[in-house]
Amino acid sequence: MSDLNATVSSSLPILAFTAPAVAGALVFLGRKLGRLYWQSFAIAGSAAVALVGVLMLPEVVAGRALVSWGEEFRVDGLSALLVLAIGLVGSLTAIYSVRYVAQPGLVSRLGGPAAERRLPVFYGLLLWFIASMAWGCVTNNIIMLYVAVEATTLASGLLVAFYWDRRALEAGYKYLMLLTIGITFALVGCVLIYASAAATGSLAGRQALLISEVRSVAPLIPARTALIAVAFLVIGFGTKAGIAPFHPWLPDAHAEAPTPISVLLSGVMIKMAAYALARTVSIFYPSLPQLTVFLVALGVFTMLLGILAALPQQDLKRLLAYSSVSQIGYVVVGVGLGTYLGCYGGLFHLLNHAFIKALLFMAVGAVIYATGVRRIADLGGLSQRMPLTAACFLVGALAIAGFPPLNGFMSKMTVYLALAQAGLWWAAVAAVLAGVLTMVVMVRAAVAVFWRAAPLDGGEKVVREVPAGMWAPMLGLAAACVVLGVFPQLAYPLLDQAAAVLATVGR
Amino acid sequence: MNPQPFHGDVIQTLSMVVVITSVIAVEVRRLRFAAVAYSVQALLIVALLLSFAAINPALYWWAATALVTKAILTPYFLFRFIGATGDREIKPLIGFGPSVVVAAALMIAFYRLTHSQMSILAPTAMAQQEVFRVNLAVASTVFVLGLYCVLTRRDAVKTVIGLCLLENGVHLSLVSLAPELPETALFGVATEVVVTVFLLLYVIAGLRREFGTTDTFKLRELQC
Repeated sequence: MSDLNATVSSSLPILAFTAPAVAGALVFLGRKLGRLYWQSFAIAGSAAVALVGVLMLPEVVAGRALVSWGEEFRVDGLSALLVLAIGLVGSLTAIYSVRYVAQPGLVSRLGGPAAERRLPVFYGLLLWFIASMAWGCVTNNIIMLYVAVEATTLASGLLVAFYWDRRALEAGYKYLMLLTIGITFALVGCVLIYASAAATGSLAGRQALLISEVRSVAPLIPARTALIAVAFLVIGFGTKAGIAPFHPWLPDAHAEAPTPISVLLSGVMIKMAAYALARTVSIFYPSLPQLTVFLVALGVFTMLLGILAALPQQDLKRLLAYSSVSQIGYVVVGVGLGTYLGCYGGLFHLLNHAFIKALLFMAVGAVIYATGVRRIADLGGLSQRMPLTAACFLVGALAIAGFPPLNGFMSKMTVYLALAQAGLWWAAVAAVLAGVLTMVVMVRAAVAVFWRAAPLDGGEKVVREVPAGMWAPMLGLAAACVVLGVFPQLAYPLLDQAAAVLATVGR
Repeated sequence: MNPQPFHGDVIQTLSMVVVITSVIAVEVRRLRFAAVAYSVQALLIVALLLSFAAINPALYWWAATALVTKAILTPYFLFRFIGATGDREIKPLIGFGPSVVVAAALMIAFYRLTHSQMSILAPTAMAQQEVFRVNLAVASTVFVLGLYCVLTRRDAVKTVIGLCLLENGVHLSLVSLAPELPETALFGVATEVVVTVFLLLYVIAGLRREFGTTDTFKLRELQC
């Protein structure tokens, strides 16, 4: 832990978000050019984030933080983990979308030339969405953290409402409105932290804006002020992360957005908000240890409420969205616990869930692509026709349910152990219960869609397996789920550093 | 620590009028008047920022940004939207009489609470001075009134105005809490609100075309 403050100057943190931002701008500038042009930039821009994430690893794993512009941008293990997840899920989504948007009626229900005209907007905003998420993860300025989180909302708002029909517009309105109100609370929290850090008098001028500096003076901040700031941050970033009871926007937005956007929303955006919450609230872990029980309770409530709401869902995408609420509960429980083991488990689950949920949404997108249907009751018997999609969905369903030896099992087990270690047995029991319910919900959905006899309507269009451009990213994610489950130690060097950033005790 | 250069009286008066414009913006039924009340408030905030700028020149930047984003662009978007629609607000959840009472109660309670409990909210020596106490009390009052507006109004345009009030409240508090905020941060914070308003009104225009109303209670496609 002693080398937590070692820093190396580097331009990688800036590249992480400027590369996709520039690519997005180029897509908007070249909106008269063809689909090939937009899609190549989308893939290149998001792959650049993944590449930057990989390049950050050697320094970060060695315990050094990458900084640029003074300390305005700072990447430690935690930031690198998020940048890597955003880059990987983002580039696979971009690849997946190439064939997905080619299917008539999927990205624009308008069809024909109108769809083609809106495609550059889709890809431009997608790149800016990725850029704003990456920006939020590398900035070290507490006010800019708010600005970046709000920027993700603005970049994705029109993507959620992309279909521009009644359902999409309603989802888009709720999304923009609720998240902006929520995030305004986060701004109050951020400003309070900054003001009280500056008031301690131990930091010179703008140093008080830097999260890494504020950590060192946190014990000097009066407890009552800190509690008010934390309350505002939990409401603010918690709304964005989909923590119950601030989650009602989430199922609407995740279900109504085009599938590639659902992948990003559920796969990485809510993780990035959870990151912002952890990054800011963890400042007060050492001085206010009683925070942890509150955060664990909030996380347990979220995981139970989310999965109970998922139980009766007939709409596949809404089901996955509610399951995301539930899974973010595990992340909050783990990270909120504040111990090394808890943070490790929470962050491991954050990474795993990014892969699993991206995989599941892509698989559901493949079903929609092939059949045009997403109601569970109208689907059935697809495993014969779409064996790859069926296998990928099953891997995702088992992984998210915590079935060994998949990655979800490893991270959930770590969270259970951390809860037991901390003596919070009630939370451990609730977490196991939520895991069992997840198993019920996900396996039931998988069986109904892929293995149950097809519903009797006949005369359907011929259902085929989706093209390679769509199943290849799914296969990659499914492989990641298996590999991280069988060899969880692969992620250890990075997660160890990331957990050490947050944890106060027990390393 | 001499209150003289702060133009204490001017700031006090302006602050009170800011609170009154918030109440008007929340309560008035005609959307155009509500937008006018909001615009007046935006101008008053600019004036307030200018008065505070006498002690902190960085606030001149903040005042200029606020002028462009809050007093010019946001009202422009609002009026352009209202011009194309009916001027009457969809009847809110709470009737006019009770709503005024609730707003007044919120206003008084929050003003008194924050004014007396300032040390919790702002543990800085500077914020203990009377002008800054008033500033923070006004900021939190505007914030609460905005929240009240967002929660109880059915009309989508009114919720956007409520959102603007919410943001105004927070931005006003920056004068006392974060006087040394760099221009980039201020610029980012202020720009995002305008973009949010623009996008929201754009989506609401789509809603109006599809649903034929801006009544948010009619948005029931996604009930499960």
